[in-house]
Amino acid sequence: MLHARVQLCALHPLSILRRAASLLILSWLAACAAPFDPAERITADVPTRAAVQGVPLIQQAAFYCGPTSIAMVMQWSGHDVTQNDIAKLAFTEGAGGTYTADMIGSARRKGQLAVEISTFNQLMREVSAGHPVIVFQNLGLGIAPVWHYGVVTGYDLQKDEVYLNSGQLDQMVLPFDLFERTWRRGGFWGLVVLPPDQLPVSAREPAILSAAAALERANQLDAAETLYETGAAQYPQNWLWQFGLGNTRYAMGDLRGSRTALRRARNMAPDIPEIRANLAHVEAELAG
Amino acid sequence: MGFMNITKKGVAIALSAQLVLATQAVTLAQAQMLGTDTAIAKYTALADRAVLMDELQRGEVRNQIIELGVDPAEAEARLAALSDAEIATILNQMENDSAGADIVGTLFTVFVILLVTDLLCFTRVFNFVRCIR
Repeated sequence: MLHARVQLCALHPLSILRRAASLLILSWLAACAAPFDPAERITADVPTRAAVQGVPLIQQAAFYCGPTSIAMVMQWSGHDVTQNDIAKLAFTEGAGGTYTADMIGSARRKGQLAVEISTFNQLMREVSAGHPVIVFQNLGLGIAPVWHYGVVTGYDLQKDEVYLNSGQLDQMVLPFDLFERTWRRGGFWGLVVLPPDQLPVSAREPAILSAAAALERANQLDAAETLYETGAAQYPQNWLWQFGLGNTRYAMGDLRGSRTALRRARNMAPDIPEIRANLAHVEAELAG
Repeated sequence: MGFMNITKKGVAIALSAQLVLATQAVTLAQAQMLGTDTAIAKYTALADRAVLMDELQRGEVRNQIIELGVDPAEAEARLAALSDAEIATILNQMENDSAGADIVGTLFTVFVILLVTDLLCFTRVFNFVRCIR
C-alpha cells in the first residue's frame, strides 16, 4: 500500500486520458454538492485576477510531476535546473512518486526558501503577489486517487478560472470549484519556493525563520545568510534573525561578521542567554 | 564527633563535585555554538502565546467575553491548554483571514473572541481548536 502522500504521475499518454476521465467524473460529482463559492471562501483582500509571468511549461517525464513542479518554479526565478536534477534529490523510485517532505527538502538543498501553505487565502495572496505556488492534488477520487503536483500561476475570479502549469506543454485551466476539490483531496498542501532574497507574503514570520534555519542545517550557508539578512530587514524588531545570521556566519568561518550580527542581537535583547553564550564563544575565538 | 566528620566530608565531596560539574557545564557551553533551531522553537512559541494572551487582556475583548457569561480567567485557562503548534496554526489563520486589515485592530479582536467562543463550543471557526464539553 502506498503512502497517502505519494503522487503517481502516470506515463504521458495514459495520464492525459486518465486526467480527462477523472476531471469528467469530478465535474459530474461537483453538480451534486454545494459548489465552492470563491466570494464566500476567500476572505483575503486579493484582486479579481492575477497572473505570474514567466513560469515555463515543462513536459514532465513519467512520474516526475513533483520534480518538474520544482524545476518550473526554480527556472522562473532564474536557476538553471532540470527535473532530473531535482528528481535525484526528491524522487523515491520504490514509491513511484515524490513525497511532500522531499519536495521541501530538495528545494532547500538547492538553496531555496521553501515554506508550506495550507489555505485558499494564502494561495490567493501568494499568486497575487507574483509568487507561483506548488499544490498537491488528487485528480482522481478518494477511493481511486490520482496524485499530482502542479504549479498555480494565476486565477481569474470573474471568469471562474484557476491556471496551472501541470507537467504538460499546455496550461491547465480549472474552474475554482473543481480546483478546490482536487486540492482539498490533497489536504490543501501547498509550497512556496522562492530565492532567499524574496519572502512569501502569506507565511507567518516563525515559518520563514524555521525555513532559514533549515537552510542552515542543510549546509546551504550562502542562502541561509541571504535569507537571514532579508528577514532582518523585513522584521527589524526580532533578534532571532540576527542570531541566525551570527550562527550562519560562524559556520562560514566569518568570525567578525558573526560577532557583528550577534552584537546586534544582544543590543536588541540583552537578557537572552543563548545570544550571550554564542557571542562569548565567538569573542573567545577571535581573542584566541 | 565521628558523625560530624562524616557529614563535613560529605558536604566537602558534594561541593567539589558540584564545582567540577559547574565548570564542565561552562566549558560545554563554550565548546559549541547554541543552535538557531532550538532558539527559534523556544522563543517564537513564547511570543505567539503572548500575542493571544495580550489580546485577551484588552478591555473590549474582556468586556465581550464577560458579556458572553464567561469568566476571563477561564478563557485564559483554556487558551493556555492549547499546544504551541495549535497556537501557531490559529495565528496563521487569523493573519491570513484578516490580511490587509490592521492586525491589532477590530478584526483581530473579533478573531480572539471567536477563538474563545470556539473553546467554549459556542462556535466552530478554527479547525484546530478542541472544544471542551
